[in-house]
Amino acid sequence: MSYSILIVDDSLPMRSVIKRTLTAAGYGKSKLLEAANGKEALELMKNNWVDMVMTDYNMPVMNGLALVKTIKKDEVSKDIPVVVISTEGNDAKIKAFMDCGAAGYVTKPFTAETIRDLIVKILGEVTYEEAFDDSDEDLDF
Amino acid sequence: MKKRLMTAMKTSISEVMETMFFLPVEFGREATLAQCKMDKKDNLACRLAFTGDTSGSLILMAPEILAVQMAQNFMGEPGESLTQDHLSGTLTEMLNMVCGNALSKTDSKVAFELGIPEMMDTSKIFEQEIFTVVDTIESKMAIALIME
Repeated sequence: MSYSILIVDDSLPMRSVIKRTLTAAGYGKSKLLEAANGKEALELMKNNWVDMVMTDYNMPVMNGLALVKTIKKDEVSKDIPVVVISTEGNDAKIKAFMDCGAAGYVTKPFTAETIRDLIVKILGEVTYEEAFDDSDEDLDF
Repeated sequence: MKKRLMTAMKTSISEVMETMFFLPVEFGREATLAQCKMDKKDNLACRLAFTGDTSGSLILMAPEILAVQMAQNFMGEPGESLTQDHLSGTLTEMLNMVCGNALSKTDSKVAFELGIPEMMDTSKIFEQEIFTVVDTIESKMAIALIME
């Protein structure tokens, strides 16, 4: 099963890193949407089905906490799991996100395994067949 | 407080550089850029302000060759495909991770607020500012903690 995952971060390199991490975790066949802030993310969510949101906290225009609050207040989007990936590991800040309904909180720097374990917990394990399509790829050893 | 914060910053720099950029680092002397033999003209720089119980900012200065190596390792992209946005984004994200991580280590009960990291004109860095040299295998960068 492939998913639609929305990555929200104002850093272009960080969005690339998260995409690469998702691919390595077996979610490469998922539709990966990108937004540079909370406002852009909400615009994208109006026209696209999203299974999970992965958002940064500290962004211009609309930060991650405002995004989580908006998603969780909306009847249509309130059940979409939101994972926060932030540099800020302050207990009070993590609690604020979890109280708003965030499904998980990862602090940067992170390892691919941390992201993978959390996504598997939320979306479920992907099988080899789901992660890789053997028919269109030749592997050279 | 500055000394405690700088110790946390060093721990965070090692952690971030090794985990996200796959570059082990060693810390060199604390001195002005001239004493460190780092010419402002040959480097990129970015700045991140923070507020909280103590407020200040962090300045990172690094040569473009190191920014390219960091971006390659961070994003897994070949050097020739990297744009100036990738390089500046990599440096600002590194500074963001270091600052957020270090402030969390200092006292997680104090709510620090980070600003948005931005590239800065190196000519705006004061000549007498004290930087800590961070050596990587093939290059070096410098980082300054400025308290208000």
